[in-house]
Amino acid sequence: MKNGTKVKLFLVDDDAVFLKSLEIEFLQHADFDVEAYATGEHCVEHLSNNPDIIILDYHLDGIDKNAMNGLETLDKIQEYNAKIPVIILSSQDKIDVAVNCMHHKAFDYVMKSETAFMRLQKIINAIFRYQKMEKELNWYMERM
Amino acid sequence: MIKSDELIIANKALAFQNKEKEKRANELIIANKELAFLNVEKKKRANELIIAKKELAFQNIEKEKRANELIIANNELAFQNQEKEKRAAELIIANYARSLIEASLDPLFTISIKGKITDMNNASVNITGVSREKLIGTDFFNYFTEPNKARKGYQEVFAKGFVADYPLTIRDHKLTDVLFNGSVYKDEQGKVLGVVVVARDITEQKRIEKELIEAKVFAELATAIAEEAQSKSEITRKIAEDAVKAKQQFLSNMSHEIRTPMNAIIGFTKVVLKTDLSAKQKEYLTAIKMSGDALIVLINDILDLAKVDAGKMTFEEIPFRLASSISAMLHLFETKIQEKNLKLISKYDKNIPVVLLGDPVRLHQIILNLVSNAVKFTTKGLITVSVDLINEDSENVIIQFSVTDTGIGIPQNKISNIFDNFQQATSGTARLYGGTGLGLAIVKQLVEQQGGKTSVQSKTDEGSTFSFCLQFRKTKADATFVNEIIELDTEIKNIKVLVVEDIALNQLLMKTLLDDFGFECDITANGKIAVEKLATKSYDIILMDLQMPEMNGFEATEYIRKKMNSSIPIIALTADVTTVDLAKCKAVGMNDYIAKPLDERLLYTKIVSLLKNSFNMKKTTNEHLESDANTKIKCTDLRYLSHRTKSNPRLMSEMISLYLEQTPPLIDAMKKSLQNNDWTLLLSAVHKMIPSFSIMGISPDFENMAKKIQEYANTQQQANEIQELVFKLENVCVQACEELEEELFKIKNPK
Repeated sequence: MKNGTKVKLFLVDDDAVFLKSLEIEFLQHADFDVEAYATGEHCVEHLSNNPDIIILDYHLDGIDKNAMNGLETLDKIQEYNAKIPVIILSSQDKIDVAVNCMHHKAFDYVMKSETAFMRLQKIINAIFRYQKMEKELNWYMERM
Repeated sequence: MIKSDELIIANKALAFQNKEKEKRANELIIANKELAFLNVEKKKRANELIIAKKELAFQNIEKEKRANELIIANNELAFQNQEKEKRAAELIIANYARSLIEASLDPLFTISIKGKITDMNNASVNITGVSREKLIGTDFFNYFTEPNKARKGYQEVFAKGFVADYPLTIRDHKLTDVLFNGSVYKDEQGKVLGVVVVARDITEQKRIEKELIEAKVFAELATAIAEEAQSKSEITRKIAEDAVKAKQQFLSNMSHEIRTPMNAIIGFTKVVLKTDLSAKQKEYLTAIKMSGDALIVLINDILDLAKVDAGKMTFEEIPFRLASSISAMLHLFETKIQEKNLKLISKYDKNIPVVLLGDPVRLHQIILNLVSNAVKFTTKGLITVSVDLINEDSENVIIQFSVTDTGIGIPQNKISNIFDNFQQATSGTARLYGGTGLGLAIVKQLVEQQGGKTSVQSKTDEGSTFSFCLQFRKTKADATFVNEIIELDTEIKNIKVLVVEDIALNQLLMKTLLDDFGFECDITANGKIAVEKLATKSYDIILMDLQMPEMNGFEATEYIRKKMNSSIPIIALTADVTTVDLAKCKAVGMNDYIAKPLDERLLYTKIVSLLKNSFNMKKTTNEHLESDANTKIKCTDLRYLSHRTKSNPRLMSEMISLYLEQTPPLIDAMKKSLQNNDWTLLLSAVHKMIPSFSIMGISPDFENMAKKIQEYANTQQQANEIQELVFKLENVCVQACEELEEELFKIKNPK
């Protein structure tokens, strides 16, 4: 995990209850600096706050049909900075949805459930491990 | 005749007279002539006098001239003297210049137009090794190794008037390399007289240059060699790495392969030991079991060490209860200690926080190694295990564990390498006490990799104290996997166990053990069959092997938890504890794990304690059902929420308020969409409700109901069922809202 500075996390979900519960979970693990957004639009507007990781709900246009959906938001984030790892969170358990998300360059796909938080934590750890490895690799490549 | 003779004489005298007269006349003429001549002469003399006079005058003029000339000559002389003085001064300067030139270490020549040496300095003499006299007048080119080149150089001087840094080699006894600089010198009229040449001795420069080049070549060579060596070492490293990888793969394969039959051997030995046996038979079987146990320990040790060597040892950070973990472990030694008639004392610092974050499995392993060493090397006396709090701050605690025995001790000179691989205090130790000498090496690795330190104090024949310090994080979370040994509960009967295990021998062993416990059991060979079986029959508990074909233990558990929504207790059976991914077990929803070879006592207690928990839960829900028969069943359960928020009332009320805000519009949307046959909206509305169910502790039954609605909505079937389901879901949500409203009130207005 990152040393020193807190990890900035964006949580994006139109399900206020779930959003809050995730926020609480993450805040209890003091490593995180959480910003929660109810819509994809809000999330995209605040990308300049430089999130380290974004956890994005898939189904953002459930009730409000005009809202930007998860994939659109994901694309917008990729457009802004393709290096921000985005984890898609959804209660969809269909494989093709997950696969589609991965095609849109999501870092991972997590099902909404009681264990989602644990999965997310693992994934976040994996992201940092991966980023560190990548950095080290670059460092070695450079000296070859 | 005398007159004729006189006459002849008279005539003769007369004739003589006449002749005389004539002579006189002649003489007179001559005299006249002489006179005339004298007159002329006189005249001449007069003339001559005039001339002489003239001459004299002339001579006088001449003399004056001479005097003048003399004056001039005098002047000239004075001038010449001056000039001479000047020359002398110039000569001094020239001498000075000459001495400078002579002092120069660079050879200096002057060469005539014809190429003959006309002058040189001392350095030239030294370098050529030829005397000055011999050099003068000789051909300049002959002193170089390449006369043609030298000639060319010197012709260049004439052509251009100078030449600079023209390289040549002087043919002396050691072939001096020079750089040749020359320029022409001319007389006052500008006529070229010859060439002045300076040949700079560049032997030193050349030498340095040569050395430099040599050094460069050397360096390049060395670099090439180094590169070669590097690539070689790269290759060797690769080979070594591959070898290490292969070794690890081999070790892990082999240990797995060995472990599987060993499990059967030990398991069945245990089973046979419980049957009626003669004393001899019992003795033999005990020997078999002990050897088997030792072998398993050895295999685990080797595997561990290989893993540590490869840096693959990972440490968990999970909450656990230190005190119960330690006492459970010491429990394992009770029989052995009793057998050896030793005494075990355990000192535990009461100030240590109850639950700590750390890796209980590794800690277990460390202490196990130390205590088993203590037991092994002690024949009488006592073994003291003490756990002390060394330091505590707001986040961490440092705990010291020490194991003291009154055993054989370690000689002073062996203490330093007692922690090395395959080291025992004396080579005789292995013969006397057995063991591979890996135990302490593993202890050291495990402790140091967790940032701790091991130390040992010992005296021969008096005993040893092994101690180590480890840092643990404090936590507020509760321990989930509890390795406590609970007193056996005899209340539980008629337990139905589903064993998922692919190896036939292990299946048989499990069956034997479970039959022994009086449990009913079904055996399935892999996760897939288990899942099918589970759908048709109900069980109380599942024992799940992790590595299986078709569907492994993780997948099966995940399927049972997620798809079947069953909360049936699942215990993982794992071949080696050291590698078991506790987090993975936990993540997929397993309740506990147990290591093979199975300790039947541990298996029994784990099954019983898990069942007890779930029975208690069932009992309470049953009670609820009974008591709520006339009132309404409470559909929400805030345990999850309060656990998650750590009972923080502010967070809880925030969560509940949000739910209350969000749910009614969703219910409306759901109802309306059903009326309008707007399947997509129905799908989304229900979809959005689902996550909040588990947060608010609403029964998974309703979650399944919601999922069913989704399925119907997806296939767009208008069915009676869907109406009913939506109605039920609406009811439960409304009820949940009411209940939560109350809870919210309670939280906000505590008594």
